Formats: sequence, C-alpha cells, structure tokens
Amino acid sequence: MHKLLLLIENETLKMWKKRRFLVIVLVLLVIIPMFTYAQLTVAQNNKDKFADWRNEVLQQITDMQNRLSSNRIPEEWKKQQRIAVQQLQYYLDHDVNPSSPNGVTFTREFMNNAVGLFIPLLVLTIGSDLVSGERGTGTIKMLLTKPVRRWKVLFSKLAALTLYVSLLVGVMVLLCYLISGMFFGYGGWGLPIFTGFTINGSEVDTSFVHVVPQWLYMLMQTGLVWLSAMTVAILALMVSVLVRSTAASMVIMMASVIAGTILSSMSSSWENAKYLFAVNLNLPAYLEGSPPPIEGMSFSFSLIVLAIWAIAGLIVSFSVFTKQDILN
Amino acid sequence: MRSSKRLGIMIGGCSLLITILMLVGIGYAIKDQLFPSVSAQPQVTALPEQTAEKNQLRIVAIGDSLTKGVGDSAGGGYVKQVVDSLAADPDKQAELVNNLGISGLRADQLAQNLKTDKGIAYALQQANVILLTIGGNDLFQSLQGVGDSNAAATAEQSMSLAQVEKGLEEGLTRLDNVLSELHRINPDARVIYMGLYNPFFDVEELRDGSLEVQKWNERAYDMLHGYSNMTMVPTFDLFEERIGSYLSSDHFHPNHEGYKQIAQRVVQAL
Repeated sequence: MHKLLLLIENETLKMWKKRRFLVIVLVLLVIIPMFTYAQLTVAQNNKDKFADWRNEVLQQITDMQNRLSSNRIPEEWKKQQRIAVQQLQYYLDHDVNPSSPNGVTFTREFMNNAVGLFIPLLVLTIGSDLVSGERGTGTIKMLLTKPVRRWKVLFSKLAALTLYVSLLVGVMVLLCYLISGMFFGYGGWGLPIFTGFTINGSEVDTSFVHVVPQWLYMLMQTGLVWLSAMTVAILALMVSVLVRSTAASMVIMMASVIAGTILSSMSSSWENAKYLFAVNLNLPAYLEGSPPPIEGMSFSFSLIVLAIWAIAGLIVSFSVFTKQDILN
Repeated sequence: MRSSKRLGIMIGGCSLLITILMLVGIGYAIKDQLFPSVSAQPQVTALPEQTAEKNQLRIVAIGDSLTKGVGDSAGGGYVKQVVDSLAADPDKQAELVNNLGISGLRADQLAQNLKTDKGIAYALQQANVILLTIGGNDLFQSLQGVGDSNAAATAEQSMSLAQVEKGLEEGLTRLDNVLSELHRINPDARVIYMGLYNPFFDVEELRDGSLEVQKWNERAYDMLHGYSNMTMVPTFDLFEERIGSYLSSDHFHPNHEGYKQIAQRVVQAL
C-alpha cells in the first residue's frame, strides 16, 4: 500500500515536471479575461438599452417569438427556441433574473459552455501521453523492470490523472471566479436558480421545477463537469496504452471529441449517435433544462452511457497494459 | 528531494479535496435530478409595481409585424423612426422601453398575452406612451400573399373578401378586449393606435377591401374615443395610391419609406 502511494506520488511529480499544467493555467489566464471582457460589453450594452433585467428578458422572449414565427427556420431549431422561451418566461413569472451579472453566474456559465469541448481538450493535453509518452522516450522499460506489478504502475498513472483532472476543474472555477469577480463583483452565491425542467417534445413541464441556491447549483454542475472530464481522461489513458505514438493518441481522442460536438449540434438524423461518449459529455445541460442533443437522451441515460464507456476503457487499458510486450 | 516531496503532498492534498467535493456534487446532482422533491414548488411572485416618470417619453410598442418592422429593409420599422426623431428633439426626452411586436400576432392572442403575461404588463406600466398596431392579421390573414403570387386563385379571392367581412365583427370584439386590457394595465399612458390600410388596393378584385378597412377604422375609432387617453393615427390614405412606393415586396407590409410616413404621423400626434 505504501509502495502504491509512493508510485502515485512519483507519477504526480512527473506530470508536474512536464509543465503541461502550467501551460493550461496560462491558457486559462488568457481565455477567461477575454470572455469576461466580452460579457462586460454585453452587460454594458444591455444596461444602456434596458431599464432593468425584466425588460431585457421580455425583449429576449419577444425576439425569440418573432424568430419562431418565421417559416424559414428549421423545425429542430424552433423546438429549442420554444423551450428557451418557456424557461425564460418561467424565470420572468417568478421574478428571478436568469443571468444576473456577478462572478458566480459568470463562472457557472463559463463552465457550462466549456464542458463539451474546451475542458476535454485540456484534459487531453495532460492525459494523452501518459503511457505512449513513456514509450516514446523509452523510459517505460525502466519503469517496468522495477519489481512492481504492472497493474500498479498503470493504477498509479490513473490515480495521478484523476488528481490532475480535479485540479484542472478546481483551478478553472477558481480563476473564473477571481478574474470575472473583479468586474462583476464576487457576490451571487445565494441567488435562486431553477432546476428540474422536464422536456416533452417542445413543451416544458414545470411541475418538478424547484429552487436551488446558486452555490449548490455550482457544486452539482461542477461535479458533473468533473464526471465527464474523467470519462474523457480514462478514454485518453486507454488510447495512450493502445497507440504507440503520442501524436496519434492525441489526434484520435481530439477527433472523437470534436466529432461528438459536431454530431450533437447536427444531431437528430442519426439517432444511434447517442451511444457515443462524446455526445453525452454535456451533463450540466440536463441540470439547466436545455433539450438533449438527440431525442431519447436523458440525464440517467447519459450517466449510464458515460459509465459504460469509462468502465470499458478501464478494462481494456488494464488488460492490454498488463499483457503487452514492450518492444524496441 | 524534500521540496519535491512537499510539492507532491500539496498537489495530492488539494486535488483529493477537490475530488471529494466533486463526488459530493455528483451525489447531489443525481439526487436532485432523479428524485426531485415536488414539495418545494416555487410560487409565482408579482413583479414590482411600476410607474412611468413624468418628464420624459417612455415608449412601449406592442402589436403585430408592423410594430416589429417587417418589410423595413433598414430594420426597426416605424417604432425606431418615431423614437429616433423624438430623441433628436431636445425638449422631448424619448426612450424606447421595449418593442414587443410579434409578427403574425392577432388581436385575440394579444388580448390573451396582456391578460396573462406579467412581463408585458410590467413593461407597459413603465410607459407613458404606448404605440399599438393590431388587427391587420385578424382582417387579412386569409389574403396574405395574394398580391405577389400570380392570380391563380381569382375565384378564391372574391370568396376571401367575404371572409374579410366575416372577420371584421370578430376582430373588432377582440380589439375591444385588447383596449380594455391595456386600460386596466396602464390607464394613464397615451395609447396611439395605428389605423389599418388596405394593402390590396391595387388588386382589382380586392379593391373593395378598403370599404371593410374603413369600417374597421371607424368602429375602432369609436372604441378608442371611449378612453380619454387613446387616439388613432390613420394610415389608409398613405397607401391608397402609393402602394408601389410605400409597400415592401411582400405586398402586405410597408417598406422603409412607408414606415417613415407612419412615423411622421405618430410624431405629429405626440
């Protein structure tokens, strides 16, 4: 047990020394201020135009209804708009601002938008070369000639990866909050958020809607973000076990994640796409009550699909890694 | 070596803490989504009461596609032009609170919205000028698109003129509902109602539609007259002979010039 801990510590330090995480933090430090600035301009603009947020929401609803009455718009898109209208109307009816500008709301929305593509890509930068990288440099022989069982080696890598995924999500939330808070203020933890919208076709059923304070909503949402990031991490580990070159393993994972985002925005026509992991990554959308990318998907469906992919990924990585011949 | 040990413990400790937090979050999320408690249904809360400020014009535009500005190549329709030309006048500080025009809206839908939608009431209460266009869709819905499609269905057109006559009575009842709802929500604001025009004046078979439009306008004026704060701005004469230059290519909505004419009249009325 002690040995395993030492192994995990060793892997953690190795990953730290590769400075990938530093790069990620730098990327975040560039991107978050950009989005904060964009959000700030929008907020400023709306402040000039509208007396308060209720007028703004009302105008949003009216604009959406106008777009709905146009018959040049595809039915699929109309459905989403109809749902959005009903949800906005619900917020307005209950006198709750759906997007009051503050650091917490910004963080919530940033994480919400990052979960599908941005976070997976960041996870891949740390996860994709875990095994293939050692093969490339030849250090894998050193590692495997030590008197340690192979599954322990891989497990320590997995544990270190888990730690870094957590760190990534944590640092992201923290940076978002700190940077956006400078402009929007650091309040907003107690604001009410509605969750539990059930969607039937293009109708929104509000009978299960309940209020959640924003801090709890953030906790739930970040947990789900972490869950989908972990699925991507485990699959990246699997690919890096299977594929010799780091570049190839990176490309394979990126391609599947990007394909997933494209599929979920085009969606519908190919229904079996819902069994792909990359289409199910956007778990926070269920919390928010946005319609699923493909008919027939639900919160529990996505959870199960992700779990199956992750478990399969683990089985494949461990069984291959423990039996694999290390050549050259 | 010792410093790297400390680094390892720091990274590990922080990450472990976050991991536990995330697991708690997932637990909550699953409980919240899959086993929601129905007891905590949020109550519908009343939006705060609003009163319009006296010293400036606060405008809310409500109604159908004319309010929305359909057909205006520059976008914005007459509402934007009204607000712009009023804002240019330093004596009158004009501000558009909301433009709530929805294309294709009928008077019965508007009356329903006014009755149930508290957001709309909220905006209307902030206003001291309300611009209203409604009724065109009630009266002409059956005829829309007649002018620009070639006259394949001439027989149908004369039939639909009969429909216009039939729609008149019903439409006027709906208009009455709209006006009384408006009065209930904001009895103080000046309401300016745009009279209807006949977009099919140049279509031989539908020229008589102008008579129905006039009936509508006359009856509408009667209703508006009953409220001291409401007036009507006529628009029918603008479009009788100038359909070519004032109507947009859909042969139903005004174009930019047409909206400009309407806007001028509204400004004069204010």
